[in-house]
Amino acid sequence: MTPLLASLLLLQPPAGDAPLESASPEPVPAEDGVTAKAGDEDGEYGPFFQAEAPSDTSFPTQPRKGKGKGSGKAPRLSVGEGAFCFVDGSHCKASLLADATVAAGIRAPASNKGPDMPYAHFGFRGGLVIRPLMFKRKAWHPWGVGVVGGWTLGTGSVTAEASDSGITQAETERTPATRIALVNQLWLNQKTHAPHIDFSIGGVRSPVLTSGVSLIGTHAEVAFGWGGWGSVYAAGDFLDRDTRVSFGFRAHGIAAGPLVALAILGAALGGAL
Amino acid sequence: MIAVLHGTIAGTVAAGLLLAPAEPPPLQRPDSSPAPTTAPDQIDPGDTTDPASERATEGAPGSAPGLADSAADSAADSAADGSADGSADGSADGSADGASTDAAGSTTEGATEPNGEATGPSSEGLTEPAASSESAAESAADGDAPAGDGDQEVLRVATERSGPPYYTEGDLAELRERHEVEIDSPPPPPAVRWRCLIADPTCRHSFEVQTMGGYALRARQGDVSRGTVDRWHSARAQYDFWVSLPALTETVGKSRFTRMSLGPKGGVTFSDTGDLWGNLGIATRYWLGRGRWAPSIEITSALSFKLATREARTDADSEAFRMQRGPVGFQADVGFGLGGFGAIVVGGQYDSPLAREDVPEEYRLVSSGMFYVGFRGNILWGGPAAAAVAAHASTRAVNRP
Repeated sequence: MTPLLASLLLLQPPAGDAPLESASPEPVPAEDGVTAKAGDEDGEYGPFFQAEAPSDTSFPTQPRKGKGKGSGKAPRLSVGEGAFCFVDGSHCKASLLADATVAAGIRAPASNKGPDMPYAHFGFRGGLVIRPLMFKRKAWHPWGVGVVGGWTLGTGSVTAEASDSGITQAETERTPATRIALVNQLWLNQKTHAPHIDFSIGGVRSPVLTSGVSLIGTHAEVAFGWGGWGSVYAAGDFLDRDTRVSFGFRAHGIAAGPLVALAILGAALGGAL
Repeated sequence: MIAVLHGTIAGTVAAGLLLAPAEPPPLQRPDSSPAPTTAPDQIDPGDTTDPASERATEGAPGSAPGLADSAADSAADSAADGSADGSADGSADGSADGASTDAAGSTTEGATEPNGEATGPSSEGLTEPAASSESAAESAADGDAPAGDGDQEVLRVATERSGPPYYTEGDLAELRERHEVEIDSPPPPPAVRWRCLIADPTCRHSFEVQTMGGYALRARQGDVSRGTVDRWHSARAQYDFWVSLPALTETVGKSRFTRMSLGPKGGVTFSDTGDLWGNLGIATRYWLGRGRWAPSIEITSALSFKLATREARTDADSEAFRMQRGPVGFQADVGFGLGGFGAIVVGGQYDSPLAREDVPEEYRLVSSGMFYVGFRGNILWGGPAAAAVAAHASTRAVNRP
């Protein structure tokens, strides 16, 4: 850098009172009008937040860098260059969540209500997440927040209670559950289909054990996803004397929809329904 | 080295001031460190036989010779413009020649070996040991910069080459030959179809909608006292979603290819009597080529768990599709595929029993499982979807013991 500076000094004609450029770094306006602040790169430091390092090699199918349609800046299946995405992405300011899920785990009633039993469910979920700190500024930010609601149909409950008259057993065939939760996202990088961790805290309304009475409990979930296409998660529903913990997989509705349609068609043709 | 660079910049500033008009703007140093006082006199200006100079001017591609030439030309122009001081001809000639030589020459050698061997028209100026940048700036500001052929003090400034490339084409050719590197990169592969919705080695990520239809040999624990096993022929239909992430890549020229993909997958599986399992696991694909129809080996493993069935648990129950619990089992298969379009798959599934003593007897489950052979692939081209639905529909004809 120093020899280059020396060459510039040698070759540069005198220009009035203009100070030397290297003396005081000034914000340099970029071509798109975004002003970069010296010493502030929007906190995009750390092991997960750095942009992809430049490389001479690339996948032939990798979108080109830059701006414009098909250049990789605008998330796929989005409008307004990421203003709203139908499939969540690292550069989306607002995204639709619509997915299907299967999960398995355990259902643990209170100790005097019966044994722990296997639990599984399938279901659907929808919601909206936004990136508040990306609205005002064009800079990328890893935090997102949103609201999700979902419905699942789970396996039934079994209770076995001991009393003076003996053991009283009861069973339900199914366990529907409705959930509403606040989801916080932490995007781990800016790549296409970037991984992200989602934390959801909310409420669940579901029949408790074999009582047939629906109560409201607490729902918590942590998920690890790749873009908006798929994720794995661990979730818990904590109701009165009825706790369900499950580990599941979730797929976006664009992919899960055809699968669900084919499965229903096959089940109907196969006589299952 | 730092001293050399400071010497270089100090000399450059001084030379720039010498070549500037009578009233130059006040200069501001880029850094606040005091200017070195040993800069100009330590520069060896005239070693035109320096081998590095020959290399820079003859062999080195890139900007070094061009920079030297442009520096010389600009110096000459600047000196000529400085004729307001009355030093047009001599200063222009001397500065141009000297700058050209210095720019092409080696600054490091001249600066680190102040041997006083400098000759030529610039040696007088360079023998002044106290020609610091401050003094030069003051003299330039006063407008009494030295000029002329005899008494003129001309500072010669050596300029380093700006950076790489340091190799000539000959060097690069030797390097390529040594490492057996082709001169030209191979042409990029043809563009992938389906925008990576069907897996391809040229894709970084793939999100695949996979279905499988096939034959299944199912088995279930029978009467334990007699050690019997119930077996029956059935069919299996599986509907999965794969997230294929690049786990192992390779580079050919400037193109990267996925050699092995690995990622989570999940879905549902159907068989006869409305048996429905969910599954979540890991799908792996190892590509054996790079083309659109490259063969591949697919390995999946997953946790599987019962979700529903039509089977009546007791004689009193009616046969209806309903939810059914079951402990988590597993399934695994291996397949040989072509280009992400489809694969022949062989695998098995095991359903764990639910036989704990604390579970009431009527809710206990026996262990069961199946071996299966099928055709699995992406639904986008239709074949695997048709196979899955056909296999699913064929379960209607299964006679279950």
